[in-house]
Amino acid sequence: MHQGAWLLWATAAGLVAISTTNPFYLLALVGVALLVHAACARPGPALRSLKVFVAFGLITIVTRTGLTFLSPPVSASSVVTGLLEGLRLATLLTVFGTFNAVSDPSAILKLAPRRFHEASLAAALALSIAPRTVVAAGEVREAQRMRGIHVSRLRMLPALAVPVLETGMEQAMALAESMDARGHGRGRRSRYRTQRWDRGSLAVSLGAALALAVFVIAGRIGHGDLSVSTYPLVWPDVSVVLVGILLALCVPVAVDPAPQR
Amino acid sequence: MTVAVEMSNVSFSYPDAEAPALRDVSLEIESGSLLLVAGPTGSGKSTLLRAMNGLVPHFSGGSFAGRVCTEGRDTVEHPPRYLADVVAFVPQEVQAAFVLDRVEDEVAYAMENLAIEPRVMRRRVEEVLDIVGIEPLRSRRVDSLSGGELQRVAIAAALAPGAHILLLDEPTSQLDPQGAEDVLNVLQRLVHDLGYTVVLAEHRLDRVATYADNALGCLDGSVTAGAVPDILDLLQAGPPVTRLGRLLGWKPPPLTVRDARAAASTLHLPEPASVPAASSVPSGDSGADAVLVCTDLGAEYEGVVALRDVSLSFGAGEVVSLVGRNGAGKSTLLRCLAGLHVPSAGQVRWLGRQPRTGRDVALCPQSPETLLFSPTVREEVAVTMRSSGSPRAVDDYLDELGLTELSQRHPRDVSAGQRLLVAVAAVAATEAPIILLDEPTRGLDPESKSMLAAIFETWSRHGRVVILATHDVELAAELAHRVVMLSGGEVIADGEPGDVLADSSVFSPQMTRVFGRGWLTPEQVAAAVG
Repeated sequence: MHQGAWLLWATAAGLVAISTTNPFYLLALVGVALLVHAACARPGPALRSLKVFVAFGLITIVTRTGLTFLSPPVSASSVVTGLLEGLRLATLLTVFGTFNAVSDPSAILKLAPRRFHEASLAAALALSIAPRTVVAAGEVREAQRMRGIHVSRLRMLPALAVPVLETGMEQAMALAESMDARGHGRGRRSRYRTQRWDRGSLAVSLGAALALAVFVIAGRIGHGDLSVSTYPLVWPDVSVVLVGILLALCVPVAVDPAPQR
Repeated sequence: MTVAVEMSNVSFSYPDAEAPALRDVSLEIESGSLLLVAGPTGSGKSTLLRAMNGLVPHFSGGSFAGRVCTEGRDTVEHPPRYLADVVAFVPQEVQAAFVLDRVEDEVAYAMENLAIEPRVMRRRVEEVLDIVGIEPLRSRRVDSLSGGELQRVAIAAALAPGAHILLLDEPTSQLDPQGAEDVLNVLQRLVHDLGYTVVLAEHRLDRVATYADNALGCLDGSVTAGAVPDILDLLQAGPPVTRLGRLLGWKPPPLTVRDARAAASTLHLPEPASVPAASSVPSGDSGADAVLVCTDLGAEYEGVVALRDVSLSFGAGEVVSLVGRNGAGKSTLLRCLAGLHVPSAGQVRWLGRQPRTGRDVALCPQSPETLLFSPTVREEVAVTMRSSGSPRAVDDYLDELGLTELSQRHPRDVSAGQRLLVAVAAVAATEAPIILLDEPTRGLDPESKSMLAAIFETWSRHGRVVILATHDVELAAELAHRVVMLSGGEVIADGEPGDVLADSSVFSPQMTRVFGRGWLTPEQVAAAVG
């Protein structure tokens, strides 16, 4: 599948998440992202990084809710507001984690016009950092365990952080050296493999655009309680149409399932 | 003669370094030759290679003086990317240097950067896949490849853009004997048939000495050019046959097993003393005093069977080498013994119970960098001792291992060989009675090798079990009391090193090849000759 279609999918899903605080739509979107991840994630280290994003999502929810207790008066309304905003951020992280695992950073890098080459390079490196850090952290944790050091203890955090960061820096440096030594950034490039907008890519893009458009319109006309009222606290409406339209973000499951190993 | 690389009065220091990495180096590299760069770790081999394609000084920083011309281009004026069409570089850690996910894309990557026509690219990709012999791997993911495959993919990717100078930094250090030979054959073919210039930094001299036309010897940043035997003489280094020649006063010392056989034809050796008669029955049993036992061990790794029916027992004080190809199951066996990998069948028992990870058994990982985090070597060891509640004094312990000198150094700031010793010391400070080492070969120069041997001897006297996995047969021959050979996840031989290693044509040390069963090290042969 064309990587641009994944880019559109992630953008649409992300914007839908931002457009609402209604927990029903957010949870449905999390479900969609997990489904797409289950079906389409490429084998390799990126596969395992989703759980880090989800973990960060849960931390976000707890932190955001906790923050409301710092600014009194604390009411049921303020706590629920915090909770829902935390959920929205967590949904966004899950969508990004899925995108991270299904897309190919180097192929996305190639889509960028030449003048954005440096920026897209930084973006591609950033996308590859999460999976690489997860792998490195696993190796370091194991190595330390073998000499009786358990890095889960806060006091022993340097035993995990120092090797992971140093190795990460060394790897980033090695990658940068390798790219330069192999002619990256000389100027005009040619393409070995051209990505084509096939029917599947088109279907994914249309599905993503449709879901986004419906949510934007719903927001405009005030359909389906996109913004949940917390002052006063009322049980939000759920629009079956809006939950249904999120299924349009599931097109990749049919179009681009991950290759069987 | 055409000159591929020319260096005149090159001096270079890394930022914040005390001593220069290169001192007033002047040399010329002839086109179409295979050149060996030899020298101890930290002597400037990598720096020399990196200076030839501009990574030094463009990526390293530091102070650079003199002039390097690669195919007539000054490397100070031309950063690496503008030399990419004439010189290609394969770094030591190829995995970190891969940019793309799939083999074919990775091979084409440099050509895309050079804006080579898609039609031409297609043809070149086919060509280099054939030259290097990796056509079957073309649509594989890079992270699914073995060490030898990765190395060959990296070479293919370096060749593809058509640069005729190839720089390789220790290309065989992670490879088993067969994998190394495949890679070296490819390199030789490039030089002989296709006119490439290959510059090869390597410390596995037993493997490469026969392939090289000439050599550069690095010592503390000074570089001497010359014929291979002269340079090895200068460095007092060389494969076992050369060391033997030096011990016995042969002039010139032989470079190859074949030369050594010719020179040794007049030598009359007694029967090797270390081989008990007819003990070649693989027992897998060291009798009543076995302390570590694994029975019918089976293991799977990502759905693939990695070990099957492995039954072994180890006695107190034994130093055992696990040898075998890349992917034979050596690491998996270590991980099962260490309790990091849950076996799918069978069990591991230490004095009748499950060994406790990090208490009864400690494992030193392949990359020492994954565990070093303290500001000094002393602290690195002390932190393990505190965690495991060891009552010993840190300084006594360092003294026992011969590491007192490094005590106040930064663990990442010592040579690669020393870093390995520090990692070994930090792991063994747990006082675990079982010490496991996974491929302790990277950067292991002769000096650190003999220190490691001394450390093993001490532990052996104290009754510790030492098990190391390695594909370096010379290392196994020098250090181990016993060798266990694995293949396809099964134990195929187990016994005295002199026996097990003599029965294999790929995994036999040079002394065995020259003198036959039972002879393992030059020192042993020299002692027998008297």
